Amino acid sequence: MLHGVRAIYLRETLILRHKLLKTLLASAISPALFLLAFGYGVGRGVQVAGSDYLVFLLPGLLTMSSMNQAYGIATEINISRFYFKVFEEYLLAPIQRWEIIVGETCYGITKGLIPVLIIGIYSLLTGVSLRFGPLFLLALVLHLATFALLGFVAAMIVKSHADQATINAFLITPMMFLSGTFFPVEQMPLFIRAVASIFPLTYSTALIRATLTPGAEVNFVLYGVLIGILAVLFLIARRIVAKVEI
Amino acid sequence: MSCAEALSCSGRPCEIEVAGLSRRFDKTVAVDSITFKVGRGELFAFLGPNGAGKTTTINMLTGLLKPDAGEVRYHGELFDPRRLNVKRLIGVVPQHNNLDRELTAAENLQIHGRLFGMRGQELQQRIDHCLEFADLGDKRATPAGKLSGGMQRKLVIARALLHRPEILFLDEPTVGLDPHSRRKMWAFLRRINQEQDCTVFLTTHYIEEAEALADRVLIIDQAKIIAGGTPEQLKKSAGNYVLDIYNEENIQNEFFTDRPAALQRLEQLDTSVRIRETTLEDVFLQLTGKRIEA
Ligand SMILES: Nc1ncnc2c1ncn2[C@@H]1O[C@H](COP(=O)(O)OP(=O)(O)OP(=O)(O)O)[C@@H](O)[C@H]1O
Ligand SMILES: [Mg+2]
Repeated sequence: MLHGVRAIYLRETLILRHKLLKTLLASAISPALFLLAFGYGVGRGVQVAGSDYLVFLLPGLLTMSSMNQAYGIATEINISRFYFKVFEEYLLAPIQRWEIIVGETCYGITKGLIPVLIIGIYSLLTGVSLRFGPLFLLALVLHLATFALLGFVAAMIVKSHADQATINAFLITPMMFLSGTFFPVEQMPLFIRAVASIFPLTYSTALIRATLTPGAEVNFVLYGVLIGILAVLFLIARRIVAKVEI
Repeated sequence: MSCAEALSCSGRPCEIEVAGLSRRFDKTVAVDSITFKVGRGELFAFLGPNGAGKTTTINMLTGLLKPDAGEVRYHGELFDPRRLNVKRLIGVVPQHNNLDRELTAAENLQIHGRLFGMRGQELQQRIDHCLEFADLGDKRATPAGKLSGGMQRKLVIARALLHRPEILFLDEPTVGLDPHSRRKMWAFLRRINQEQDCTVFLTTHYIEEAEALADRVLIIDQAKIIAGGTPEQLKKSAGNYVLDIYNEENIQNEFFTDRPAALQRLEQLDTSVRIRETTLEDVFLQLTGKRIEA
């Protein structure tokens, strides 16, 4: 049972091992720049939501950069599907199609953990203490699974590599800036808040930030919201992958 | 030209039966109601020019594309790619070498084995065996992307054989190989057919490849099957002897069932003429009225 899930996970992580250094550097640099620009530039000495801006920013950066890595499997699946055509191997194997979804999602979760490690190091370096506890871990896994699945769905519906870039420009980039990574969503104009409310990142950012910030209250409804989003995405992925041809 | 031969399994148990199989992409009809059978253990060549519909046919036979119409049966059972057991019967070598280039030869096989539910000692032994069989024993730790084109092709074949399929589909197995490697590949494919006890279904646009290798040839052109049979049958039905009649712009062919008839005709001609035995290429040209490969 589940040999398909394990085989796909094995393949993806074997390949990840070959580009671990690149992935590590990529995950380290962009949050470091945001940290410098926003944390020490604009936000120095500023209080946001009742605490130091860095305490607000670091969980946001963690959520955003882990999303980027988890969602980033879209590009990889895309290349393997349209360019190297390795994806055919999955379609030819005697495995259920949903095993492909689960295997890739597990890989996305794994990849999303890399920036978490890095932000953890940054929080030590900046002296910001965060609560890395079980509530955070649960939220993190739900968050990563959601975006890995979103990446998988995106990779399945696009017809080419160029389509993928379009999705990134219209969905992922706005999400990064409007979902409460850098500023509380509540400070935004009503229109932006309405847009943000349809972004899953808004919910995972709020939840992860609450579980990480010492003394903050965790709204457990948000777990339900993430589980709901995850379930819907999984159903969509299943429908799409059942129909997918080469 | 009779297609009747293509409909039988030449005295063997039927492995694959295809009836009325069709597929279009928007307005392009890629495969147009093709019907044929492949017998257990046959080395079967699907010969056709670029764009004839060879890859589309293989993709439908292996479950990568859904047919618009028609049916495929394996061992008499309707093929449904959602039923996983039938997929274990099938090994596929796609037209494109779809290896994980960063992974080693052995790792590429390992992933394939795991996808087919193999593991542990059994998998390791099978990997060793298949790499040896494909002459890649000393390349197991080499990243696939660093192998030569011919070695990559063999690695893809070794991978397709790993789970001991009963039927091996090869989409243009010798494209991109030099004449030397091609001949070696032919020998390799024959060994697969005989030693691994595999039914081999290959596509090619090289006529001499079909002629040299195949027990039976099916000729497809513009989405339709236009002839089928053993190379001998195909040549016989065109005429075993052919005259090349040279005129100013062209070479014309005339076919004859036997040599005396051909000689008799030769006497009557006063242009430059050559008599020779019919090749599959002559048959193909006669059927399609065009040359597909120099
Ligand atoms: N995914 C697709 N979308 C649109 N048209 C396609 C697609 N796949 C194949 N076709 C068309 O269907 C026809 C048959 O293509 P196919 O790839 O099966 O030919 P082939 O015999 O394998 O050719 P080649 O020798 O070049 O590989 C061609 O006209 C091709 O353009
Ligand atoms: Mg083809």
